[in-house]
Amino acid sequence: MSTEVLENLKKAIIGYDREGAADWAKKAVQEKIDPIKALDTMTVAIRQIGDGFGKGELWLPDLVGAAAAMTSATPIIEEEIKRVGATRKSLGTVIIGTVYGDIHTIGKTMVATLLTASGFTVNDLGINVTAQSFVQGINEYKADILAMSALMTTTAPEQRKVIEALKKEGIRDTVQIMVGGGAITQEFADSIGADGYDPTAPGAVELARRLVGK
Amino acid sequence: MAGKGFTRNFRPLKILTEEEIEAIHRGTLEVLWVTGVRMEHERGLKLLERNGCKVDYDEMRVRIPPALVEECLRKTPSSFHAPARDSKNSLMVGGNTLCLAVAPGNHTVDLDTWEPRPATRKENYDGVTVLDALPTVHFFSPYTPYFGFKDVPPCMAMLESLAARIRNSTKFQCVGFSNDSEIFAIKMAQAVGIEILGTCAFAPPLAVYRDAVESAFRFAEAGLPLRIISGQVMGGTAPATIAGGIVTNNAEVIAGLVLAQLINPGTRILVKDFSASVNMRSGAPAFGGIEICLHNAASNQIFQKYGVPIDDTTAYPNSKMPDYQSSYEKAFRIFTAGLSGANTLLFHGSVHGELTHHPIQAILDDDSAGMVGHFMEGLAVNDETLAIDLIKEVGPIPGHFLDKGHTRKWWKSEQFIPKVADRLTYPEWMNKGKKVCLDYARERMEEILATHKPAPLTPSQEEDVEGVLEEARKHYKEKGLITEEEMATYRKSMKSTNYPYEQ
Repeated sequence: MSTEVLENLKKAIIGYDREGAADWAKKAVQEKIDPIKALDTMTVAIRQIGDGFGKGELWLPDLVGAAAAMTSATPIIEEEIKRVGATRKSLGTVIIGTVYGDIHTIGKTMVATLLTASGFTVNDLGINVTAQSFVQGINEYKADILAMSALMTTTAPEQRKVIEALKKEGIRDTVQIMVGGGAITQEFADSIGADGYDPTAPGAVELARRLVGK
Repeated sequence: MAGKGFTRNFRPLKILTEEEIEAIHRGTLEVLWVTGVRMEHERGLKLLERNGCKVDYDEMRVRIPPALVEECLRKTPSSFHAPARDSKNSLMVGGNTLCLAVAPGNHTVDLDTWEPRPATRKENYDGVTVLDALPTVHFFSPYTPYFGFKDVPPCMAMLESLAARIRNSTKFQCVGFSNDSEIFAIKMAQAVGIEILGTCAFAPPLAVYRDAVESAFRFAEAGLPLRIISGQVMGGTAPATIAGGIVTNNAEVIAGLVLAQLINPGTRILVKDFSASVNMRSGAPAFGGIEICLHNAASNQIFQKYGVPIDDTTAYPNSKMPDYQSSYEKAFRIFTAGLSGANTLLFHGSVHGELTHHPIQAILDDDSAGMVGHFMEGLAVNDETLAIDLIKEVGPIPGHFLDKGHTRKWWKSEQFIPKVADRLTYPEWMNKGKKVCLDYARERMEEILATHKPAPLTPSQEEDVEGVLEEARKHYKEKGLITEEEMATYRKSMKSTNYPYEQ
């Protein structure tokens, strides 16, 4: 039964089925399946999608569709992990979001999905995220990495504001900061004191690994 | 020809049936009434509510009834006069004419590496000079040639761009909006005694923000023409299907058109069909895709039926340098625009998408624009052009036409002679260093910069333009949009004795 539930959870993610993924996640909790095992299954599913994307066999709608299915199931499993007090092996915890004033989601979601597929624990704060929300997210999830996206030249300076807010809170040195998005360059990343920048989503995964030394 | 746009002397391409047009129109009306659009602007919402729209202030959502849509479409002029600083460059936008404008870029490119980098003040002004000289550039779009240039704070980019274009060109000008920049843009235009085309840009799907609505109010209330845009990316901010994309684009630009007609009935409107698909590998817009041409051909046909002038999707190529790919991407775009009845198209100078622009590319584009303009004029068929008597007179070989008066009279108007295309024979080409069109374009750019002197403003006009810029600088400094550090760099860049043309 346990194998069947996990198999269906995986199928739901690979099949871009949001409702199905949430239903099978609930079912896994009901049947007291080890939540770590459930999360690992989901990571295997999203890795399969990520690999397909990397090989050029799958496309962005597939990646984003599977990510949405995964996102609908993740909170259910994470709550169960918290309840049973389990811990999961992870390359590191990432807080990711598109900065305040910017509602571009695609690049950020690509990076979040590929980071998840690579074994990071990713908390996606979404779009239009204020500096305060980033600070809260870092504190709440004890993040190792803060990843920020900005697509527009008008919103790029917001990344600087977030870093300044972190300094003010005294938590700048607790996280590695990586930045990206259409408006960002290496020069800009250096100027705001970020720890890393990469123009592509797969490159961002390599960067994250380097930043946490893995 | 220069300054007046191209005239299409044959019926436009029609790719939709009447039933398909009707289905798209019905779909548009349904979306506008049932779903409506989000408008983050209370004054705009109130105006729409007073005119029969349903407004939900909590959601900032306005639902527009079909009767009001159709009334406002009728009120919109089917063509309009766009007066330029020099009246010989004034345009009539609409009908069977295609007017071409500059396709802007964020940065310039290095001609050796083709990598992007910010333009300097001099490159920006020189870029305007080149575009002023090119006969197929009929008007200027906003923030052209560059979105900004070195040492100019972002909030001043729009206004510095307009000032450069007013100073170095006598052609008709269009502006965008950013942090109320249109207040100063209108002031600058009024100081010089010209009209400018404003912009109101929607954020697809089905939303428009405060700044865009403010811009619509300011231009319509000032009696100035307004361009209404929504830059959709099919599969991302619009349905992946072209028909579905046309419906949401229609709903967005028509919502803007309704607003403008309610602010000031009879406002001159240019709607823009600014569409691309999502590049499903990177998530960026797939510039240069042939599906854009289908989208535009259909939209052009629909807006001809509405009797509203339409601006095509900007001819942005996806290549990074002027090459084979860039040429076909641009050629498909302009050819479809010309054949299917677009009234305007942003065409010249874009190197890669909206990210880079270069005058050399604009010079290459001047040739292909000229070719399409020539095609649009069509061919004359009459006794003289049929040349039956001449054909009889010449007869079979050894007869020929090269020495005939008919040839001398007609060939120049029948042929289009590109300025920078390589048309040499192999021996000539090898003897002259195997030059390609890019080399000739570079030579033409140097020649234009050495010889073309844009008509200057009068000293008092110049004083007024600089006065408005200074007022804007102070305004944005007070608003905190220019930091002390930015202002210091900006001021330093204005110290040249050849200001404003160089730093």
